[in-house]
Amino acid sequence: MAESYIDQADKEARKRALEVFRQRFREVLEQIRRGENPFLMLPKRTLSNTIYDERRKLLLLGPEKLKRSFFDLHEAKKFMQTLLMARIIFEALERDEYPTIRDLYYRGKHTIVYREPGGRRHEENTWDEQRESDAVIRDIEVLTGLLREEMLILSKEKGKVVGDMRIRSGGDVIDLSKMGHGAYAIEPTPDLIEFLDVNAEYVLVVEKDAVFQQLHRIKYWRQHKAILITSAGQPDRATRRFVRRLNEELGLPVYILTDADPYGWYIYSVFKIGSITLSYESERLATPQARFIGVSMTDIFGDPKSGKKPYLTEQERRNYIIKAKDADIKRAYELMNYLWFQTPKWKREIEIFLDKKAKLEIEALTSKGLRFLADKYLPEKIETGDWIE
Amino acid sequence: MARQRAQRAKAAEAPRETFKSMSPSEFFYHYKEIAGFDNPTKALYQAVRELVENALDATDVHGIFPDIFVSIEAVDREESFYRITVEDNGIGIPPNNVPSAFGRVFFSSKYKLRQARGRFGLGAKAVIIYAQATTGRPIEVYTAPIGSRRVYYFKLKIDIQRNEPLVLARGEFENPSGWHGTRVSITIKGDWSRARHRIYTYFQRTAIAAPYANIVFVDPDGNVVVYRRTLNKLPPKPREVKPHPHGVDAEMLKQLISRSNAKTMLEFMVETFQGVGKKTAEAFLEYAGIPKDLDPHRLSERDIVRLVSKMREFRKFRPPSADALSPLGPEVIETGLRSILKPEFVVAVTRRPKVYEGHPFIVEVGIAYGGEIPPQEEPMLLRYANKIPLLYDERADVAWKVLHSFDWKTYMVTFPAPIAVLTHIASTKVPYKAAGKESVAEAPEIEQELRNALREAARKLREYLLKKKREEEAKRRIVTFMKYTPEVAKSLAVILKSYGVKESDIREMLLTAMKKRLGLPEEEFAKLVEGLEVSVEE
Ligand SMILES: Nc1ncnc2c1ncn2[C@@H]1O[C@H](COP(=O)(O)OP(=O)(O)OP(=O)(O)O)[C@@H](O)[C@H]1O
Ligand SMILES: [Mg+2]
Repeated sequence: MAESYIDQADKEARKRALEVFRQRFREVLEQIRRGENPFLMLPKRTLSNTIYDERRKLLLLGPEKLKRSFFDLHEAKKFMQTLLMARIIFEALERDEYPTIRDLYYRGKHTIVYREPGGRRHEENTWDEQRESDAVIRDIEVLTGLLREEMLILSKEKGKVVGDMRIRSGGDVIDLSKMGHGAYAIEPTPDLIEFLDVNAEYVLVVEKDAVFQQLHRIKYWRQHKAILITSAGQPDRATRRFVRRLNEELGLPVYILTDADPYGWYIYSVFKIGSITLSYESERLATPQARFIGVSMTDIFGDPKSGKKPYLTEQERRNYIIKAKDADIKRAYELMNYLWFQTPKWKREIEIFLDKKAKLEIEALTSKGLRFLADKYLPEKIETGDWIE
Repeated sequence: MARQRAQRAKAAEAPRETFKSMSPSEFFYHYKEIAGFDNPTKALYQAVRELVENALDATDVHGIFPDIFVSIEAVDREESFYRITVEDNGIGIPPNNVPSAFGRVFFSSKYKLRQARGRFGLGAKAVIIYAQATTGRPIEVYTAPIGSRRVYYFKLKIDIQRNEPLVLARGEFENPSGWHGTRVSITIKGDWSRARHRIYTYFQRTAIAAPYANIVFVDPDGNVVVYRRTLNKLPPKPREVKPHPHGVDAEMLKQLISRSNAKTMLEFMVETFQGVGKKTAEAFLEYAGIPKDLDPHRLSERDIVRLVSKMREFRKFRPPSADALSPLGPEVIETGLRSILKPEFVVAVTRRPKVYEGHPFIVEVGIAYGGEIPPQEEPMLLRYANKIPLLYDERADVAWKVLHSFDWKTYMVTFPAPIAVLTHIASTKVPYKAAGKESVAEAPEIEQELRNALREAARKLREYLLKKKREEEAKRRIVTFMKYTPEVAKSLAVILKSYGVKESDIREMLLTAMKKRLGLPEEEFAKLVEGLEVSVEE
């Protein structure tokens, strides 16, 4: 029987999700039954309704709600889209499917054909672009309080991990230290992963895939007892959730290594406190304990204020530094407004950046020498606590 | 001596002018454009117009429902000679007046204070003079006054130098059927292909202002256009009135005095002017310092000038009577606009009489909106004065000025808009800019009234547009909700199937909730959703 191949963890998740859907939409039916204007109450997913919780150091969805009513000219379509998306996800859950967000887009893209009272015929799609259906998926997530992973919706895998660690996924035991030159792709439903045993002292997340590979080749993770992860750019949800679990459940400190520029800083901040567009998931995806290991401005230039010496010589700086672009400067000013970048160390970082108008890629450090990065820079910084929180 | 000689020699060399007089006919023979006969195109249009307007004046002014037949035949295509024939069922012309009516410039039955299309005593003659100049052919007239046992026939030309009729032939026929009316035929040089559009427009505009008329027009290509009577009601008949004291000048007063048999000023004032009773006359004469028993014929030139200015100043005369006027009335305007332009909405306003230089005038405005009217960048303007459509020189007209300084946005009209505006000025004295009667001058009183009338009509249009907008909004809401209902109902049915709810039930409930939400009465809702169909292709 096909049933028996299905993972028990998946099954449980499905059952839970289906029940949430039934409960949630039963309310709508009751409203209709009472002859009322049916509505859905959604937390607002806007910047103004994104708040930074200073105590928990998380970017969270604020208290503002949005009432989406069907009999409201401007909301009617959104209301319909929300119900339509709910139905497709519901059906996929029932049928033991694992749709991707692209699948959901196609499944719900219907054409409504209608003839107006004057006789003119019109066609209208339930949605046109995936951007629209993706937004509706986010609405369903906040409406039901279920993350897409919990609804068994898959997204592209981007994050990779290696390390001295064993996990169980989909009933298989996987040894993350036996991946050869490759790495384990972090699955879209990291909550269904079971940690078996771990032999590591910390987690190192590298923004750049190329640097990750170089460190992997020289078995950095084995030598330094690290779980090595790359997000390959902006981290996806699965990578963030996976890192969070390593930190929370296994108590491993998390260090994040990005380019020395405002975009690198923002990647760090997404890991640490959440993203603005997906602030509703921060509670489950963010790792408030994550540390920014580098590359920091003081690594490049040193800091006369604290007496810190730079890692780069004058000559190296001249070779590796890239002039900041207008967009970088603009982004830096934006970051200055975010509360979580207003700690003394971050202020100093941004200050130096704006002063020198210079940025640097991680690759500069491997150019100086892979061994420099692996054996000096990283261990020394971790040892001396030279990171930013 | 030498000086004298020199002077004489100089006088002999001095330029000498020769002098002669010119008859009115001759004048218009030389200056045809003043009467609107600039070229073969305009002439063909102007000729049709003059004859049709005479025909209409002979009917509706006298309480007769007009039956007008018009034809233009190409009698000589090579020379572009066209014969125009116009026949009406009007009051006819007494036979003894026919030669002068058609043969003497400035001979008219309309030189009186009574609204008519004709005014100058020139129209028919201008056509004949133009015919003589271009084809050399005479006019032929058949006419029978009401009750006449005979039909009279004339063939005549004008002795242009002497401004006198030249009757070439005349005849009389039995009239057993009791026909009355007039039929005239005349051949002129014209340019049909160029004038065609204008002439068709003219008939259309004429029909708009005369929905109580039957008009048949046969064009040179054999096409027949029929404007059938759509209204069985005539505008009020205008009645001739006496002059108003504010409407006379010194010259006119002199004439009035010389025609009067009154022995005293008091008698003269009461008999000559409208709305002046004994009391008013006494009060006025006292105000003017003129003894009431003075013989008016003894007034000196200076007394007359003073009297005129006193009359103008005196504020206690009753305002001029509107009896002489014959406005179209809202019903005629609305019917006319509706049957010709086929709009979705019409409204017409007839203002109360007002005064301009001692003459009463009435302004009327009609607005037609939507339907078959094409959207345009500016309102389509249909101008009328004393029921005559005015087609040329639009921009010189006071109505154009008013329309273009009007704040349409306030009335929910944004251009391009499908809108036509009809303006009508009815008066015993319309300030035409020229004898061709194509545009009206900007008299402030008339301009103000036009603006008031336009506002009044536009307010009604706005009410209509508001109502329509509300309806359209309701419709838009219904269409929006209805088109999304299938997906919503199906989705709920799928998610809640374990509770045993059916999609069709949800749809029903949604419909009920929607009606409640829209707050529309059942029939209105039914009307708005009629023909609405929705289906979903998955
Ligand atoms: N079809 C007709 N039926 C009755 N009377 C007519 C007709 N045509 C002309 N007449 C008489 O002939 C007169 C002269 O007509 P004509 O068109 O020359 O001048 P008008 O109409 O008085 O003024 P206008 O120059 O403004 O047209 C009219 O006043 C009218 O009495
Ligand atoms: Mg005339």
